[in-house]
Amino acid sequence: MAEVADPRLEIRGLEKSFGGTRALSAVDLSIAPGEVHALLGENGAGKSTLTRIVSGVFAADAGSMRLDGKPHAPRSPAEARRAGIAIVHQEPAICPHLSVAENVVLGAEPARFGWVDRARVRAEAGRALALVAPELSPDAASSSLGPAEVQLVTLARALAQTDCRLLILDEPTASLAAPEVERLFEVVRRLASTGIAIVYISHFLEEVERIADRFSVLCDGRQVGSGAIAGTPATRLVELMTGQTLEARRRREPRTGGEVVLSARDLAGTRLPVSASFELRKGEVLGIAGLVGSGRTELLRAIFGLDRVTRGELRVRAELGPASPGRRLAQGVGLSSEDRKREGLAEALSVAENLTLSKLPAWVRPARQASAARRLIERLGIKTAGPDQPVRALSGGNQQKVALGRLLHHEVDVALLDEPTRGIDVKSRADVYAIIDELASQGKAVLVVSSHFPELLAICDRIAVMHRGRLAAATPVAELTEHRLMLDAAGVG
Amino acid sequence: MKKLWRAPWFGPLCAVLAVYVLFALLAPDTFPRTANVLTMARQTVIVSLAAIGMTLVMIQGGIDLSVGSTVALTTVIVARALDGGSGPWAAAASGVALGACVGAINGLLVTGLCLLPFIVTLGSMSALRGAAKGLANEQKVDADPKGLDSLMALPGGAQGGFLLPTGVWVALALAVVFAIFLAYTRPGRHVVAVGSNLETARLCGVPVGRITLMVYVIAGGLAGLAGVMEFSTLTVGDPTDSIGLELEVIAAVVIGGASLSGGRGSIAGALCGALLLTEIKTGSTHVGLPNWVQEILTGAIILVAMALDQWRERGKGAG
Amino acid sequence: MTRGVGRAWVLLGLFALSGCKREAPAAGTSSDGGAKPLRIAVIPKGTTHEFWKSVHAGAVKASRELGVEIVWKGPLKEDDLKQQIDLVQSFTAQGVSGIVLAPLNDKALVSSVKAATGAKIPVVIFDSDLASEDHVSFVATDNRSAGKLGCAHLAKKVKDKGGAVVLRYQEGSASTNHREEGCLEALKAEGVKILSDNQYGGATTETAHKASESLLLAQGATEGKVAGVFTPNESTTFGMLRAVEKANLSGKLGFVGFDASDKLVAGVEGGAIEGLVLQDPFNMGYLAVKTMVQHLKGEKVEKRIDTGSKLVTKANMNEPDMKQLLRPELDQWLK
Repeated sequence: MAEVADPRLEIRGLEKSFGGTRALSAVDLSIAPGEVHALLGENGAGKSTLTRIVSGVFAADAGSMRLDGKPHAPRSPAEARRAGIAIVHQEPAICPHLSVAENVVLGAEPARFGWVDRARVRAEAGRALALVAPELSPDAASSSLGPAEVQLVTLARALAQTDCRLLILDEPTASLAAPEVERLFEVVRRLASTGIAIVYISHFLEEVERIADRFSVLCDGRQVGSGAIAGTPATRLVELMTGQTLEARRRREPRTGGEVVLSARDLAGTRLPVSASFELRKGEVLGIAGLVGSGRTELLRAIFGLDRVTRGELRVRAELGPASPGRRLAQGVGLSSEDRKREGLAEALSVAENLTLSKLPAWVRPARQASAARRLIERLGIKTAGPDQPVRALSGGNQQKVALGRLLHHEVDVALLDEPTRGIDVKSRADVYAIIDELASQGKAVLVVSSHFPELLAICDRIAVMHRGRLAAATPVAELTEHRLMLDAAGVG
Repeated sequence: MKKLWRAPWFGPLCAVLAVYVLFALLAPDTFPRTANVLTMARQTVIVSLAAIGMTLVMIQGGIDLSVGSTVALTTVIVARALDGGSGPWAAAASGVALGACVGAINGLLVTGLCLLPFIVTLGSMSALRGAAKGLANEQKVDADPKGLDSLMALPGGAQGGFLLPTGVWVALALAVVFAIFLAYTRPGRHVVAVGSNLETARLCGVPVGRITLMVYVIAGGLAGLAGVMEFSTLTVGDPTDSIGLELEVIAAVVIGGASLSGGRGSIAGALCGALLLTEIKTGSTHVGLPNWVQEILTGAIILVAMALDQWRERGKGAG
Repeated sequence: MTRGVGRAWVLLGLFALSGCKREAPAAGTSSDGGAKPLRIAVIPKGTTHEFWKSVHAGAVKASRELGVEIVWKGPLKEDDLKQQIDLVQSFTAQGVSGIVLAPLNDKALVSSVKAATGAKIPVVIFDSDLASEDHVSFVATDNRSAGKLGCAHLAKKVKDKGGAVVLRYQEGSASTNHREEGCLEALKAEGVKILSDNQYGGATTETAHKASESLLLAQGATEGKVAGVFTPNESTTFGMLRAVEKANLSGKLGFVGFDASDKLVAGVEGGAIEGLVLQDPFNMGYLAVKTMVQHLKGEKVEKRIDTGSKLVTKANMNEPDMKQLLRPELDQWLK
């Protein structure tokens, strides 16, 4: 393994167990100043545990860490912060009731004798924001920010630290659209050039190849490989992560859809979408490509009756009429939300309860519920201790399978999937693609929204691009390239 | 103007003025009198003091149902202390200290055992009520107030004087102090952060446990002070006093723009809420409304205030 | 914005006005050619007990006879001391002509009453006494002799059968205290053994009922160890009546209660209650307001006015006097 001469962070033989489960065993890592180091691995491989130990959330059971040659064993996140460790979490989180500036300096407010120095708060926040999001006003209300802006605020928060020496980015692009990703990369490169060491965690290998200098791969808590990105093909990285050679996705022959089951004409919502027309046919997968904030999610919500439709016509088969989630489900239309935590799943309930939630009989028989759940668990390959396990305890990928499994249990004819692979690992992603394929081949109609365009190109039959609330006409994938989609989505085509 | 319109206390203040005008029109001879306004100010002190603490607790994302019992227990403690020979200041101080201790216990149970504040304070509400009754031998405790009764007395007799009773000044001063605390100090901003998004605050290194504990101690201390004021009004220690006060306080705080899910709240708004409740109470007396109408009216005004606030919030989102 | 808010307040205003109308009859009688009518605040301890309804009716009768306006207002919650203090303060600030008050506590209301008299608003105390010299007059049942009256009868009934228990109402309530003491005196004078006199029924019927059940149980009433029971007010009497009925002791023990309500009278008829000492709440309300008016008109009034008490038993309950006491016609006054 390649060694670094003067590492910013050096980790030797790190071990950590939770109860009887070993989360990390004998992990070594060294990162140089100014290096972007990709930390790869499937969900549950131990990446979060590792970053949490570095950032002081957990203490290691054994092993040592050194930061710039000095022993590093933070007992709290605050202590790690003081040592110069900043972290941007996967789920971008802010306090909606504080201003942008206050969110940026949260926990490290410049204060004299407990009095917050508002001028310095604005100045410090402004400095950090200038690096990542110069258009954001420090005085803006955080509650009005979109997900991408929230992500940028959390990044600014990490940068506002005095003397940031090591920056950990956990899936920083998960909620970002392409142009914002570019901007993020620019920021990351600039930060690296100032000598900050960056740990970059991502599931998007093509991103990793563009931004990272070196990589380390974790698998089941063990370190299975590390080296320079240049000269390591992506297929090799996937092999290391999954522990198996993933069969390259075979491009299947194009499907032609049957009768129209869902159609919209000039559909508009309160704010978004502005105008959307499309036809979804039986047995096809229609993709909707668009950047964050283009109105994709709003379109799905309007179709499902969660948001008000202010104009236009929406038909399920031939039926018009008022939309409500209950009516849609009765019509065989199901929605899987992009936000699993808040909308998609009832986290405290069991796997079985989540799977059967939308279609409970009047008299619930737990045994029957469990056996239905068991069938779905097997069919979808959900890794769980059993139907009774709370969904909260599952990894992101398996949670997503539960969310999709609910649509299968409901036996929907039309599946509306919003970002079905957001924040899940490579293996689970492949499983989700397989589920979508299977649905379409069974004659169901699937509408997929994604900001990950290669994914759309791989699974859809036709793709329509959404830009600023307007949905363009759908095009068969054979005539599309990722480049084309990107240009259309950005509105420069 | 737009800024004013968006301030959380603007709506409640409008309501206070509107209800004032309404009752002034219905009882023009008596309601707008100086003596009556002073009396209303005085009668708002206890709810106000408790509401300042409750605002902090609710912004932090918690709730304190034990306020009423704390007030009752404090009146008993103060009466017992005076009866046992301590001076008025010592008795008042022991009342406030007792409140703070109660708050500390609530806070420790919430943070230490990770229990829901609703459950914890529901328990302490009952336990403290029992403690008050036990300490008072299930009867009212007589004591020479030794001047403590002047806290809530009008200077210069019931009729005259433009000066307010000491208790009103104390409540106003504390409201200003804690409003500044919330807006301009680091622990104050941390209270908002914790209530707004607890996990984020934790990740950002905010000492969530300490902040939570602090909020309950402050709220307890203020409830203790409210108890001292209550004793000043009653001049006896009454273990059955202030049953249901917590609901009145929560109503005032919620009218003042607080959210039950934390992050939002305004001390100025809560004071307006408390004043609004007093106005309705006093106004109903002046107009001669029977009690049942007064109760319906109170409920209706709370609901209208909430609906208006909701509507205003929505306007904010669209703007 | 203004339109929405405005509409809301108009609604509230209508609400308030519609509430107003209900009290109109009291104000309707004032017609003393030009001069402003006297406005007298009457503050009971509560508003929902039957007892206070009779007081209210009596007060209304006086107001109609004498051409004054009365404002009847009790604490929102029955027996809430703080609210009663607030009410006295509010009426003082309002500048009513006089305040007629049944104080919930003999000390806690002293300073408020002092403030009222300081503001030239005279105060008449009724029902329970106040530890003060500031008020004009105290209009109430002589509770000691009322207690004696009841328990002298009780003593005669149970003298040779065994001991008696007294369930007290609440500490700090002077009126019931005197009844209890008067009763105990009468019992002791006849040599009846007192089994218990230190239990309290508390503020509500519910608490009184619980206290009664445990008291009867503790004293072994079901084994016939209790011959007589005395309770000093309506809520304790009703609570005890229920407890006696539940324990199947109706008629087996001598039970003298205090005050009347439909259910208590039915208890007398059915034999569960030996006798009820009746105050005359109607007369009390009437006399209290009348005394206040006399004082305001410059007449001299007595410092202490007794409103009388009677003992009603199954034997005398159909006499006309008693009937009027038991089932006062309140409707003509309160509707």
